[in-house]
Amino acid sequence: MNRIGWQRSSSWIGLALCGLGCALSVPPWRSLIEQSMVWHMVIQMPMLVGGGWLLAGSGIQAPKMQRFADWNRFGLTGFIASQLIAAYWMLPLAIDRAVVLPRTDVFKLVSLLACGALLKASFGRSPAVLQLFFVGYAVSMLSAAGVFLASTDRRLCNAYSLDSQWNAGSSVVALGVALGCAWAWRLVRDTRRAQARPQARH
Amino acid sequence: MDKKSSPVADGRTEAVGLWKTFATSVVAIVIGLACLLQATAGGNAFTTETLRRTEVADAPSQVPDLAIRDAAGHRSTLRELLAGGERVWIVDFVYTRCQTVCTTLGSVFQQLQQQIRQRGLEGRVGLLSVSFDPANDTAESLRAYLDRMQMDPAIWHLVSLDSPLDRRELLDAFGIMVIPAPLGEFEHNAALHLVTGRGMLVRILDYDDAALALETALAAVP
Repeated sequence: MNRIGWQRSSSWIGLALCGLGCALSVPPWRSLIEQSMVWHMVIQMPMLVGGGWLLAGSGIQAPKMQRFADWNRFGLTGFIASQLIAAYWMLPLAIDRAVVLPRTDVFKLVSLLACGALLKASFGRSPAVLQLFFVGYAVSMLSAAGVFLASTDRRLCNAYSLDSQWNAGSSVVALGVALGCAWAWRLVRDTRRAQARPQARH
Repeated sequence: MDKKSSPVADGRTEAVGLWKTFATSVVAIVIGLACLLQATAGGNAFTTETLRRTEVADAPSQVPDLAIRDAAGHRSTLRELLAGGERVWIVDFVYTRCQTVCTTLGSVFQQLQQQIRQRGLEGRVGLLSVSFDPANDTAESLRAYLDRMQMDPAIWHLVSLDSPLDRRELLDAFGIMVIPAPLGEFEHNAALHLVTGRGMLVRILDYDDAALALETALAAVP
């Protein structure tokens, strides 16, 4: 698929992910995230981040967006902000609040979409070593949180049963590992492409 | 006229960009950490359960005066019951069909009942189990639970809400979240709640800290 074709379909996929992610916060689908921590943490939340990423991808090249480039050199600001948003939504009490309080749930939708958009804005600008630092941090945060959720006998979220928490824990670990692998695959692919390209300078 | 950028101008733009990024990153860190600290009571509570315990310990709250009934069918209100004598109450929340955590809570209360009796603390510390399932917990079910737990009426009281409509208010006041579980059961955050005779919820402790709960209750007796 050519670049324009991919951009067009990625914005449609992004829109679909945003729509589905937001729909999970509205009845009757809301019962899915209310009853299952896996649906909430491992399906809805990544869906929103992914949706934000893909939608931002279609608008990021716009000249208006370039104006913000100075504020996000090497993608640093975006990485830091998205990492903090992700850390907030790993807190069991934040997850509980999103289930109980509608206004917190709206904040969750907006902040996670923003998280995806910030990540997209940052990845294109950052050197691999900085990406490694942030991706490494995210993967270790997800794995540690996942292992803890899956192994503790305490119910960490009052909104979910212990069974649901254990399932969510192992799924969060899998998500972390998958993210790490996806990043490594992208890095290898980009490096190969760069090597295959004819040298511009002699 | 074409604008040609000089290396000096490029360097300056680069430096300005770096400073802008640095400043925005610092702002993002400050705002992010402030939000995280605010949400976690200064880094002290990461779960709703710890947060509610910290909040109650810092600022005791008044329990609502809801209509209740006991196994004999007598009706009164929660505060009337609590105000009987200068006692501090250790309160838990149950439903009589429960086969899981309430059974554990039941045996913790049995041990507490024994200690209160052995140490002659009947006039100072009381035990109260409140059913949050008034629709199913009829006087008959309450009586069966009372017998099963071998409750001593001088120490341990068992009541249910009189109206199912008050359930939400009761659970919210104590910070209890009840979720449906398989086989018609419920799952809920179980703990020992210390309530004074004046109806103030002063502490919430782990149910495996029964000894601590008894000492804390004794210390809170006026």
